[in-house]
Amino acid sequence: MSYSTPEPASIMASALPAVSSSAAASAGLIQEFPPAKLYQLPEIPVPQFITPAADYREGVPIVLDLGTSQTRAGFASDITPRFQFPTQIARYRDRKILRTFTLIGSDANYDANTRQAAKSPFDGALVANWEYLETILDYTFVKMGVSSQGQVDNPVIMNEILATPLAQHKHMQELLFETYSVPSATLGIDALFSYHYNNGNTGLVVSAGNETTHIIPVVNGRGILNQAKRLNWGGHQASSFLLSLMQLKYPHTPAKISPWQAEMLMREHCYTAPVSYADEVEHYLDRDEGFDERNHIIQAPFTEVIAPVKTEEELAKIAERRKESGRKLQEQAAKIRLEKLMQKEQDLEYYRSIESKSDQVSQKEFKRLLDAEGIRDENELSKMIKNMDKSIKRSRKQDVGNGDEESDTEEMTFPLLEIPDDQLDPDQIKQKRHQRLLKSNYDARMRAKAEKKREREKKEEEERKDEEWRERDLEGWIKDRREQRAQIMARMKEKQKLKEDLNNRKSLASQLRMKSIANLASEGPSGATTPTNSGGARKRRREDGEDDGFGVDDNDWAVYRDIANASDTEEDDEMAESIRKIEEQLNAFDPKFSLDSSLEAQSNWMNSLVHAFLRGSRPFDPASRAEAHQIHLNVERIRVPEVLFQPSIAGIDQAGLVELASDILLRRLSKQDSVSACKDVFLTGGFSLLRGFDDRLRHELRATLPVDVELGIRRAEDAVLDAWKGMRKWVNEKDNLKNNMLTREEYMEYGPEYIKEHNMGNRALT
Amino acid sequence: MAPATPPSNTAAPAFSLFDADITSAPKPFRKPGHKTPSRRIKNAKQIAADEMKRIQSLPDESRSAALMDTPTYLNVEAPPSVMPRKWWCDITGLKASYRMPNNGMRYHNKEIYEVIKHLPPGVDQQYLQLRSANVVLR
Repeated sequence: MSYSTPEPASIMASALPAVSSSAAASAGLIQEFPPAKLYQLPEIPVPQFITPAADYREGVPIVLDLGTSQTRAGFASDITPRFQFPTQIARYRDRKILRTFTLIGSDANYDANTRQAAKSPFDGALVANWEYLETILDYTFVKMGVSSQGQVDNPVIMNEILATPLAQHKHMQELLFETYSVPSATLGIDALFSYHYNNGNTGLVVSAGNETTHIIPVVNGRGILNQAKRLNWGGHQASSFLLSLMQLKYPHTPAKISPWQAEMLMREHCYTAPVSYADEVEHYLDRDEGFDERNHIIQAPFTEVIAPVKTEEELAKIAERRKESGRKLQEQAAKIRLEKLMQKEQDLEYYRSIESKSDQVSQKEFKRLLDAEGIRDENELSKMIKNMDKSIKRSRKQDVGNGDEESDTEEMTFPLLEIPDDQLDPDQIKQKRHQRLLKSNYDARMRAKAEKKREREKKEEEERKDEEWRERDLEGWIKDRREQRAQIMARMKEKQKLKEDLNNRKSLASQLRMKSIANLASEGPSGATTPTNSGGARKRRREDGEDDGFGVDDNDWAVYRDIANASDTEEDDEMAESIRKIEEQLNAFDPKFSLDSSLEAQSNWMNSLVHAFLRGSRPFDPASRAEAHQIHLNVERIRVPEVLFQPSIAGIDQAGLVELASDILLRRLSKQDSVSACKDVFLTGGFSLLRGFDDRLRHELRATLPVDVELGIRRAEDAVLDAWKGMRKWVNEKDNLKNNMLTREEYMEYGPEYIKEHNMGNRALT
Repeated sequence: MAPATPPSNTAAPAFSLFDADITSAPKPFRKPGHKTPSRRIKNAKQIAADEMKRIQSLPDESRSAALMDTPTYLNVEAPPSVMPRKWWCDITGLKASYRMPNNGMRYHNKEIYEVIKHLPPGVDQQYLQLRSANVVLR
């Protein structure tokens, strides 16, 4: 999913206060971190081709555990299933060769295209697409090497869910008996088969599967199905819950997690809170020694962008080259300026000579001279001379003014300036002019220096007074500083508030802003909205050339700043700087003030809960490709499995596992059955493999059961395969194969909806 | 830091798509010419509704049995909880003592409050969707 947000960083990361490393350094918080432990994001395994079995024999029962996630198949003579594969089907059309491939199981993971086309025949725990299911059964029988002609000449034992809708049961039997013409078949509940394999007799079976979690009481080997309950939450829902959480936590991460990867992450990293979720989660994000163990970092694959690194020598060379070219440019510019200056000086000299001729030659002759130069009269000439003189001065100043301040510390002397012109020869007059220029330049610099010195003295004086005040009246001083700090903080807060208000179209601030925009757009004075000042009148006045007086007061321009809606970073920086200064002073002199309560420390990532949640215990470097591809699993590790105990976390309006189990044990069973069932609470199904699941159940059930009731909780030997093994065990029992399977004749007689009851199966309507 | 690995799975399966294609594989066990009648694709909701209809249309006696004693897909469903509901922070999963008044999100502390306040539009609903508390416009 993607958000239409302009900032590339994570939304939550953007809400995090930005902390620069220098700020952290000044607060003394720089810390070395050992390298983090990284878990690699698992890759989907490369599919292996399953070669069809060569030892097929007719009559040997086929045991088929068709789960919503994995299908396991084998003969009753096998000890473990011959093969298992993900229950999925991909129809992939290769447009180049115009052929459609149908791929089942792990074959559907052949490449990216087929993986994308992979679908499940199930919707939830129910079969939605029977055509897909038939293809999957075809595949299974092909891989079992079934070679009997025109029929699958083996009894088939399969699983179905607890209290399956009759239509599902009917379709499955139709498929088996009509499409495959099996001699006999039976359908049973996988959880009960698993319990059967683990030699259970009376107990409570908790089967946490891929799509649902079932709780089935069993008395004397027979399931009490009308007291059983189904919770609509399983491994699949949990892993997609985890996936959604991750997508919301890292909306902009370039690392994409597939549903399969989410399932792997869930299996590997999630665990059930051992005692209670509330206790476990309370200090989960605390930065203590255990935090790095609680916070698992998943590293998604990435490619490092390697910037070409320049050596010291190269860098030096480049700098040298740059300096050199800069110097050349400067030289050239100086030369050009000098040439221009000389040209100007010559011109000035020439015009001066003309001017000096005015009283030597006749009026007429002088007028002729002026005309030859294209000058109107004497006045214009003197004006021209004045202007040229000025510009020469200016360009001289430019060349001289750049000199650094240290160079002119020694007193400069201008001896010629004191001597009147008539005592000098023309050469000296020229020099004198030059000296005059230098002097004015020098004087200006001196004035600036003096000004700076005065300012410095003033500041020192202020500081001295401040210090005096502090020594005289520390309490008052501290109070003043604290007030100043509070004031700046209040201003910062106000600015922040205004900024937020401006984002809200209906807020007062943004309405005022719209009003001033409207005022400006109507080109009137700020009072233009008053009814006496109509638009027409204003327009007329403008046409008359009358000024509305905007800009006479400099503050008038502030209106543009107000409506610009842009953050005034300069002012923000200034405020942050002054806060920092005040806090430094307070830290030095106020015994009650510590850096922990400073603004900087408050906005430091070390104290941020969101940072701990998103980035763990280490600082986050947004430039690092590796860190951009990292995903932190912390609270999710217990939050996702917790849904089984509190389904309301995921919005499921059902009671939690413990509530259901204790209700069955305490209210639904007879006293005697209940006591013996409590001795054997049995966990099976892939989702029950979560770490700590049995301990948690024991802890919570213990709390609800009477003290004198013995409680025993055990896990299946192999929570995933025991259903298959139980089916095999059941079918290998002579009596079952002979009497408890639905035969072809019975099917023909009673029809596809017939349920032949047995200890492991569903019940027919009475 | 982790070694840089190529982002995609480069290893190719050791067989071709033609080997894996199940339509072309020999299936001697199938009756020649037999075609399973095709069934409409139904999602879980429709299947459950059909089952409900089936039970409703049963003769009185077996219907009351189906509603009372016999396990059916509908009555094995776990009932709602009678325990008081606990609230957890929608963003972090920590204990949530507070509730956002404008969208109902639960949050842990003022820092998370700031985060929620600055969520891009629509994201709050995505968070609420995780616990089916989002506003659904019909």
